[in-house]
Amino acid sequence: MNKKGIAILLFSLFFAFTAFAQGRRALRINEVMVKNDSNYIDDYGQRTAWIELYNSSYGAMEISTMYLTNDPKDPTKYPIPRGDVLTEMQPRQHLVFFADNDPNKGTFHLSFTLTPGKDNWIGIYDTDGKTLIDQVTVPANLKPNCTYALNQDGESAGDAKFDPSFWGIRDGSASKYITPGSNNVIVDKNAKAANFSKNDPAGIIMTLIAMTIVFIALILLSVCFILFGKISTQSAKKRKAEAHGADSTSREVVAGVESDSGEAIAAICFALYQHLNAHDQEENVLTINKVRRIYSPWSSKIYSLRQMPERKF
Amino acid sequence: MELLSLSDFLQNSMLQFWHFTGFYNVTIPHIVMLLVGMLFIYLAVKKDFEPMLLVPIGFGILIGNIPFQPGNEIGIYEQGSVLNVLYTGVREGWYPPLIFLGIGAMTDFAALIANPKLMLVGAAAQFGIFGTYIVAVTCLGFAPDQAGAIAIIGGADGPTAIFLSSKLAPNLLGAIAVSAYSYMALVPIIQPPIMKVLTTKNERLIKMKPARAVSQNEKILFPIVGLLLTCFFVPSGLPLLGMLFFGNLLRESGVTKRLAHTASNAMTDIVTILLGMSVGASTQASEFLTANTLKIFALGFFAFAVATFSGVLFVKIFNVFLKKDSKLNPLIGNAGVSAVPMSARISNDVGLKYDPSNYLLMHAMGPNVAGVIGSAVAAGVLLGFLG
Repeated sequence: MNKKGIAILLFSLFFAFTAFAQGRRALRINEVMVKNDSNYIDDYGQRTAWIELYNSSYGAMEISTMYLTNDPKDPTKYPIPRGDVLTEMQPRQHLVFFADNDPNKGTFHLSFTLTPGKDNWIGIYDTDGKTLIDQVTVPANLKPNCTYALNQDGESAGDAKFDPSFWGIRDGSASKYITPGSNNVIVDKNAKAANFSKNDPAGIIMTLIAMTIVFIALILLSVCFILFGKISTQSAKKRKAEAHGADSTSREVVAGVESDSGEAIAAICFALYQHLNAHDQEENVLTINKVRRIYSPWSSKIYSLRQMPERKF
Repeated sequence: MELLSLSDFLQNSMLQFWHFTGFYNVTIPHIVMLLVGMLFIYLAVKKDFEPMLLVPIGFGILIGNIPFQPGNEIGIYEQGSVLNVLYTGVREGWYPPLIFLGIGAMTDFAALIANPKLMLVGAAAQFGIFGTYIVAVTCLGFAPDQAGAIAIIGGADGPTAIFLSSKLAPNLLGAIAVSAYSYMALVPIIQPPIMKVLTTKNERLIKMKPARAVSQNEKILFPIVGLLLTCFFVPSGLPLLGMLFFGNLLRESGVTKRLAHTASNAMTDIVTILLGMSVGASTQASEFLTANTLKIFALGFFAFAVATFSGVLFVKIFNVFLKKDSKLNPLIGNAGVSAVPMSARISNDVGLKYDPSNYLLMHAMGPNVAGVIGSAVAAGVLLGFLG
């Protein structure tokens, strides 16, 4: 392989690895409860602090061997165990981990707790234990049975940055509901369709916008091919001029190139045919063409017929 | 458990079997749908209306409307049944892009490349979609997403209609698909009267300049540039447009003849069989015979009529701005709907009626294939706005 080929291959591999990494980066800390007196109960009937993760990508994501921690100095504090089918998060799925410092209770019970009345930092690290995927600092003023949650599921500052403007405190009231294991924002209808229903009840705006887009797309395509057509015609003229052994700018020679339509070519071909081999009457000879059959052992007589037994004396 | 006597046992068994049969479970809606299925097969076999589509759909309707007792993994809507597995391709939108791959591999875009301004005719005919959207929303009270799914019938493109309705209004998919394919089969009846009403005799006699020869390089560039331009505008059209242009590149590149041959022959045939049959079978009487279906059929007819109307009218207006020697024959305007190649053939047939030496087929193929691109872009726009 030449140097150019190796360079292209390396370039492709670099992008392939980047794409893989981006899959894991879509994991988000979505909602956190620090003090739980009357809220979500775990699978042992206990009320403990919990952390909700969210797969914000549109593909399934395996999170085992990644790390959850509440200490930036100890990024591998809780390795998410292997071998549990539930650690494969489906697209846009939520998963709740209980911060009860009792990992022997199962995959979703962490080896640390969260401390009420203090800022609680929580981070997720990739399988290398070094790459920070997402982080949040839950404020100390979070009241019991309230959560600190992303305003929109999975929508944060990105690149593992923490930006409090994406987060809000939820107290369980009608507009600030607490939703462990499900969407922070409950979508009960097609918001886009509802907006069109409200703002464009007659469909006029939709029609205008959509027709404009269709026209612009096809006009651009049309303009492109008008240009390509001109370039192609020019190069055809040039080739024809060169074929005639003349200067490509010679007007005399290149005149009439544009009339090389299919019909003109057909007329020239017909004239040549007439000139070289003119005959109107058919020879009235029937020709039987041999049909070519491609050999295959599946259709071979040798394999499909049994050999007659031969008597040997 | 009480053991039955032999006569009671036989009687009970026969009764159970009777309850299991179609004769016991049949209702009037089933019979209506079976008649519809037979009508489709009749139209396909005897009248030659789009037989490749109407035979699978018609027979699918028969399959889908045999009465049975639910719960035995038989019906198309029963999880685990064979029909349900085949229907997954419709529900999830797998089949339409595969059909588009075949269409791309079959289609020669040379007519369009030679005369790129014909693309605008394909764009204008998409008003059939959006005109229908307005009527569906304002007059018939459909929600915008449902209206969008119904309106795409105006694109006269079955796979696009199935793709979009599977995303926007899965509950209306059967009615929309059957309506789209029915009207595509009826294009020879719907379009000519509209074309004649909108054009004068002189306009019908316009002879268009023969198209220039198109180089191989232009043909190779077309799917690449086409994909980039249209999908940068409407990424939601990627499944359809991506496959359409990919199929066309297989055809035009000249180095993948085997792939192009498979895509345009065996694969398209297989997917057409599966798509047609499962769409037909999805029209179970209980789901299909509703007031909404009648509305969808009415809107489908309206969509085809408006698309034809806007295509022809656009050419007439366009002619005002064109030089005398490069005028377009308005009879090619109907081909802006993407019923390929049926609507182009209609342009040609109507043109030949008025001037037996005026062959419009290749000129009409330009707007015809532009209509395929235009309807896929329109579907992408609707999906982007309403999905």
